[in-house]
Amino acid sequence: MILHALRLSLMASALATAAVAIAGTLTGWLLARREFRGRELLDALLTLPLVLPPTVTGYYLLVVLGRGGVIGSPVYRATGWSMTFTWAACVVAGAVMAFPLMVRAARVAFEETDGRHEIAAASLGHGWLSTFVFVALPLARRGLMAGVILAFARSLGEFGATLMLAGNIPGRTQTLPLAIYDAVISGQDRAAAWLAVMLTAVSVAVMLAAGRLGRPGSARR
Amino acid sequence: MRRTEGFDVDVVVRRRPRRSDPFVLQAEFGTAIGITVVFGPSGAGKSTLLMAVLGAIAPDRGRIVAGGRTLFDSDSGTDLAVRRRRVGIVFQDALLFPHLDVAGNVAFGLGATPREARRRGALAALDRVGARDIADLMPAELSGGQRQRVALARALAPGPSALLLDEPFSALDAPSRKALGETLLDLQRGTGVPFLHVTHDLGEAVRLGSDLVVLDAGRVVQVGPPQRVVAAPAAEATARAVGTENLFTGVVRSHFPDRGYSEVDLGGTVVETGLLDVEPGRSVALGLRAEDILLAVERVRGTSARNVLAGTIAELSSLAAAVEIRVVTPVVFRVVVTHEAVEQLGLSRGLAVHLLIKAHAFHRLL
Repeated sequence: MILHALRLSLMASALATAAVAIAGTLTGWLLARREFRGRELLDALLTLPLVLPPTVTGYYLLVVLGRGGVIGSPVYRATGWSMTFTWAACVVAGAVMAFPLMVRAARVAFEETDGRHEIAAASLGHGWLSTFVFVALPLARRGLMAGVILAFARSLGEFGATLMLAGNIPGRTQTLPLAIYDAVISGQDRAAAWLAVMLTAVSVAVMLAAGRLGRPGSARR
Repeated sequence: MRRTEGFDVDVVVRRRPRRSDPFVLQAEFGTAIGITVVFGPSGAGKSTLLMAVLGAIAPDRGRIVAGGRTLFDSDSGTDLAVRRRRVGIVFQDALLFPHLDVAGNVAFGLGATPREARRRGALAALDRVGARDIADLMPAELSGGQRQRVALARALAPGPSALLLDEPFSALDAPSRKALGETLLDLQRGTGVPFLHVTHDLGEAVRLGSDLVVLDAGRVVQVGPPQRVVAAPAAEATARAVGTENLFTGVVRSHFPDRGYSEVDLGGTVVETGLLDVEPGRSVALGLRAEDILLAVERVRGTSARNVLAGTIAELSSLAAAVEIRVVTPVVFRVVVTHEAVEQLGLSRGLAVHLLIKAHAFHRLL
């Protein structure tokens, strides 16, 4: 059971991080480089999961993705499949909670690089995609890596939104943080301690890696 | 006659920065193929002009033609994307891609040709700027001068139809400046590509420019050959920018090392200067402070000044505390004297005068 929780946590966090790394990097670049109407509003909306209680974010996710939800309901009617109470819900909850961290890190990483590099690349005949891949990404790579690591750590520790969207089914949707909660509630003190130490170790390792990559003060501005 | 083979620009650019006053650049000028120098104080709109030609800023209306290619024309709805303009740029701080080595930087604009061909193209471009030997170094290992050479090679490698230079010398020391200036002149002649060179150093403008465009507060105040603009600032803004410095380009005639002077033909007037480190027959840019010239109404004998030049007063203009006098020798010298001197000597237009200038009052520019 514990092994399953660890495996699910790592796998869901990895998948969530992969999705967040791509979407968050692109969004961060848009926020850093493009002037458009509602840019700051978009930034504020994307930051929301950072300030809302995770259970509130989880509630919104249920409203949207649940069996009776805005998106969830037509999907259920068409396929008979609902995301709630599946491992996929763990991935989605982790991704949504980690997304703002990645976007912030990416936006700062791009803003710290000189935008004229991208102008120079365009003047040398490169389109936006080629400029993005060969110039913008390599220049911002340290900040982006730090963002990826933070995103992984955040989704690994995700509790509230996961509980709302995926439930807490041992052997199916019970992630490591949820397993710790269960262990404490049911009086399994030794198990709880082991799990807590395990999660702490992973988190410390991740923070150390992030600290090495991100320069001091680069996480906020 | 308005020349247009180099740059033909007539634009209105409005910028609305979020936190400061809107800025309007209204620029109209045409220049020959060569090095068009855009000169002006900071905030005059030099960089805005450059970014508009590059395509990074869209003008509100107007037309930009560079090297015969129409890059922007609001009448016909033409507005080429930056990557389709074939306009190279060299920034003040070179701005090489720090994650690529020198050859990688230069090859970046060579498109989807095979790896070997790209490498060969990059080395050829580096060769032209005298930087082939540093092809395998990283940008962080280069000196400021080397960086600018690589930036030049990178911008020229794809064969652009125009090259923009945004104060490329301002971060360099004097010897690098001098050497890079020579390279720039050679490259322009060798490629036949029109250069648009932004600077706030007048010596640089006179030394390099085939045309000088003076910008002030978002407007073109004067266009013409640099030496003519400097000798006769038509607008107050130009005069303010030029100051009371005489700037000349001349050809070195001969050296007299044992006596410590050189002879330079300023274009009809031959002067003696301190010994110059320039081969006879080559051009040199010289500066001379208007305050360093003595003016006499009679031919003076027995003076230690190496230059006694006969000339005629063409114009007197009153400055705040002094009077600026333009004397044709035939080369025009600007001399600054006091109001009192004008009265006592009876200085007026058409009067024959002599200028006394020490050889060492001439200083070499760039």
